[in-house]
Amino acid sequence: MQLNLKSLFWNAIFVLVLISVCWLIYASGKRIDYNWNWERVVPYIATNAASSINAPADGEIVLAANNQLVLQNLSGDTIVELGGYSSLSVYEGDLIFEGDSLATIEEWRIGPILQGVITTIKISAWSLVFALFLGLFIGLMRISSNPALKKLSVVYIELIRGTPLLVQIFIVYFFIGTVLDLERFTAGVIALSVFTSAYVAEIVRSGIQSIPKGQMEAARSLGMNYPKAMIYVILPQAFKQTLPPLAGQFINLIKDSSLVSVISITDLTKAGREVVSGSFAPFEVWFTVAALYLILTSGLSWAIQALEKKLSASD
Amino acid sequence: MKNIIRAEKVNKIYPNGCHALKDVSVNVDKGEVIVIVGPSGSGKSTFLRTLNQLETINNGAIEIDGIDMYARSTDINKLRQDVGMVFQGFNLFPHKTALGNVMLAPLKVANRAPKEVKKDAESLLKKVGLADRQDNYPNHLSGGQQQRVAIARALAMTPNIMLFDEPTSALDPEMVGEVLDVMKDLAKEGMTMVVVTHEMGFAKEVADRVMFMEDGELLVSDTPNNFFDTPSNPRLQKFLSKVL
Repeated sequence: MQLNLKSLFWNAIFVLVLISVCWLIYASGKRIDYNWNWERVVPYIATNAASSINAPADGEIVLAANNQLVLQNLSGDTIVELGGYSSLSVYEGDLIFEGDSLATIEEWRIGPILQGVITTIKISAWSLVFALFLGLFIGLMRISSNPALKKLSVVYIELIRGTPLLVQIFIVYFFIGTVLDLERFTAGVIALSVFTSAYVAEIVRSGIQSIPKGQMEAARSLGMNYPKAMIYVILPQAFKQTLPPLAGQFINLIKDSSLVSVISITDLTKAGREVVSGSFAPFEVWFTVAALYLILTSGLSWAIQALEKKLSASD
Repeated sequence: MKNIIRAEKVNKIYPNGCHALKDVSVNVDKGEVIVIVGPSGSGKSTFLRTLNQLETINNGAIEIDGIDMYARSTDINKLRQDVGMVFQGFNLFPHKTALGNVMLAPLKVANRAPKEVKKDAESLLKKVGLADRQDNYPNHLSGGQQQRVAIARALAMTPNIMLFDEPTSALDPEMVGEVLDVMKDLAKEGMTMVVVTHEMGFAKEVADRVMFMEDGELLVSDTPNNFFDTPSNPRLQKFLSKVL
């Protein structure tokens, strides 16, 4: 009972601190000369504003056999059927030129910020997959008894960890990208996965080395060759060990992906910057962007925790 | 009769200069049970581990079933399938159930059909008395149970030789018996066994020959009766006076 009261007290303190921090942020927001317009951000996330359907070519509006208006081009072929639209802006017999508005339509479309979220997810997911494989490969080289492989991996790791990601992105995009004629997105994925793989390699190495030597001996004594022993015995155990640090590294990857905006990839950060200049609501937009990153990272963190729980059956 | 294990003047020198095995020669006949005893650091475990090349040797020769272990044409992975090993620390794969541990090598090394492998693994676990624990993970088994699973795992590749490296040393005293019982059954079935152990009772009861090693040398190789009752080697006498 005593313990219960004590924990209740400190939990109350925790909530109190959170509330006061929130209040502080709110109060400082009020104090400055700034009009908060959260509703301005919404259309940049998703909008159902009317958009118009434009004529793809010159033609004439005629009544088709099924009693519905269609746009026919000059040779009499139907190019747009207008039956499905509720708000038509043309009448039968109208002469239409290319680009004229035929109808307006209201449907939910994603705005630039969500578009940015999708790009960020895409670039992070690709980089995560490549970083995992590359990191595993480099990590295995790192523990190899072959001096060439071992030293190459050490050089790789030191080189990548010793230079800033931002500089690496520039080098990959402007130098390697020019030599190999890479697209922005590819260059971004390469820079991010190369950078992350150096850290993954070290995590993989420490994970493998944390598995007792007896495991490898037991596997080899059963007649497994080295690769089989790695794949079926060592790596599954090392994977479980390395999940928590890997999770941290991949959360870093999502956050680091914001740096690719410098090579004009419209990810969440760049979308945020563009929206700020269009909406005149910088504070709201940046808070929104931060919240969206938080959703992405906590989603990943939650997924990895679930995986960890699943793998803990053998503990 | 041809020897199933022939070790000729085996020498092992560690990189740090420690001379762990000095001209050790051992011949084992098919179906023989050899028990090696000796003080710790005497090289008995090292010698056992050279028999499946977990330790390489510096010179000498080892033949398993007539195959020279260090010949160029010898596939060590193939040779190891014929030599099962049981470790002091069990070394079960913690991410696999008891059944999974027994099934792994037949599935991935011998590439046998899963259905058949499962049937065999189940009967092996039954043989070591663990039919009801087959779905348990190693961490949910007692030491004695883990070691019995380890024996079943080593038997799964149907080896002709079984090596036991102090199989009961890491066990609580009350669990030693159950592991020794499984080993006795194996010996009765005619399995060729080389056992490094401190269980003198087991050596007396089961061994065909008992060997004494000290300081990397094989000093005595004799029948259990002569070995324990009328030891002639003074160093063995000294050792026995301490352990018996």
